[in-house]
Amino acid sequence: MQKKMTILQKTSNPPLPQLHVSRRTFLKDSAATAVAIGAATLPLSCAAVEKPVPVTSKDRVCKGKVIDCHAHLTHRSRATWETDDRKLIEAADKLGIDQLCCSTLTPRRPATADGFRECNRWTADGIRRFPGRVLGYCYVNPGYGREALDEIRRCVGDRGFIGIKLYNEYTCTEPVVFPIVELAIELGVPILQHASHSHYFVEDQPRISDGGHLAELARRYPEAILICAHISGGGDWEWTIKALRHASNVMLDTSGSVTDEGTVDMAAAVVGVDRLVFGCDSSMTAGMGKIRGASLSTQDKEKILGGNMMRLLRRRKS
Amino acid sequence: MIVDVNAYLGHFAFRRLRHNTASSLLALMDSKKIDKAVVSSVGAITYRNTQAGNEELAEEVRGHSDRLIPFAVINPFYTGWQDDLKICHEEFGMKGLRLYPKWHNYQLSNPCCRELVNDATERGMVISIPIRVEDNRQRSWLLNIPDITLKEIVELVKAHPKARFILLNGIGYTRCPLGRKDNDLPANYVIGLSRLSAVLANELGQLITNLGTERVMFGTGMPFNYPDPALVKIEVLDASEADKEKIFSQNAMTWLKL
Repeated sequence: MQKKMTILQKTSNPPLPQLHVSRRTFLKDSAATAVAIGAATLPLSCAAVEKPVPVTSKDRVCKGKVIDCHAHLTHRSRATWETDDRKLIEAADKLGIDQLCCSTLTPRRPATADGFRECNRWTADGIRRFPGRVLGYCYVNPGYGREALDEIRRCVGDRGFIGIKLYNEYTCTEPVVFPIVELAIELGVPILQHASHSHYFVEDQPRISDGGHLAELARRYPEAILICAHISGGGDWEWTIKALRHASNVMLDTSGSVTDEGTVDMAAAVVGVDRLVFGCDSSMTAGMGKIRGASLSTQDKEKILGGNMMRLLRRRKS
Repeated sequence: MIVDVNAYLGHFAFRRLRHNTASSLLALMDSKKIDKAVVSSVGAITYRNTQAGNEELAEEVRGHSDRLIPFAVINPFYTGWQDDLKICHEEFGMKGLRLYPKWHNYQLSNPCCRELVNDATERGMVISIPIRVEDNRQRSWLLNIPDITLKEIVELVKAHPKARFILLNGIGYTRCPLGRKDNDLPANYVIGLSRLSAVLANELGQLITNLGTERVMFGTGMPFNYPDPALVKIEVLDASEADKEKIFSQNAMTWLKL
């Protein structure tokens, strides 16, 4: 309890966010958002790229584009960041992954505004260094209110980022997060929400979101495009999948280091393949292996590996 | 030829497993072109009397000895384990053991465990040790079973230079003596690759460099795990076909005298 109080104090330091666009405005837009699926053009950074020639081409399960919906570039406080980023692309080449949706995270959370802005500059640089391969998520701490919203507009509007990455500074159902969701709706971009569900209190992540929180947020904002991060990220994935059954605007990211047999199959059976997006979150062979191992048709695997993410990216409004 | 040194049969108390009977596991193996698998009882992980699990396993693999290689689960703190070991080895033809010190609540350094390792070694049995059964973050509210620390394994392999250990479901070997070159440890252990990275940090490649290709074995963790991630690791590994063949099967064939 003491620890939680301390963290609450820390995370309440940033000024409270100011709602500058009412939810009603966004709700009015929701119908238009819904019909916009597949209608909008891709941002420049999502345009067709020359496919890498994967080492594993003989075993490739997907003829279409393969998009890792959950990847990270390395924070530059790490001396090996440049090599690490290069290794990520090389790993993608080996596994036949065409594009990686990347964020750069601060080494410690909660992130400061300067901290997340610096990370996003590096993500933008990553997009330039690996053209056509790296797509960017704008990482923000919602507690910084106006600064977070400005950063999202800068990254999505000016830098061509494809979405927003939220980590564990706040549970996604806290009101401080709502302006971020509303801006994401306005821009037509997805939010990749860090999430996990364990049957114990996770002391070092007291405000971590889970599938239940995402389902609640999805009910509040049915027009939002939400991605529940790494269903194989260590928590009880059966719980997560069941919690999200009725949250039709929440996609499930298959990433994470856990390779439990049946995960992808159960997710497909409960929420449908159209709501699954392939990801690795740096567990590259685990990520690809799970999809290969799932008892699904090639067409379904193609949707998961890239088709569904392409559909999300087309919802972008500018 | 592919030999999987990390497979299981039976029911797990906390999650439904598919492909957990001999026939369904063999069907999965066929679909992945896995020829043989070392299997042990899943039920014995949580049974108080593990021998009941070994008996179930022996019954399940009957008629499939060409492909399923049964290992016994023995708890050296449970009465009668010496009788169980004898029956598993002599009657059931089990070539090795799987130990679960955290689940069965004993220390690898305890004299009872040391006695079990010595007895199994005298019988020529291989001792495999899963560092974990499943990711602890998804644990049931009923229990909290930590991973075995690699430090405990270091002490074990040092204490039993004549024993042969297969370490399963672990990572981080290169950050401890077990995965380092010239580590002054007996070369009496091999490492299963199910959780090793094969790209990015590439611990698998590092272990091959540091210890040699002979010290790594193919294992999937099925039916707990999808077998495919382990297969993908070998596909993307920067190694010769001859070295991949060693990892896929030859090392296990040599150790298990198949």
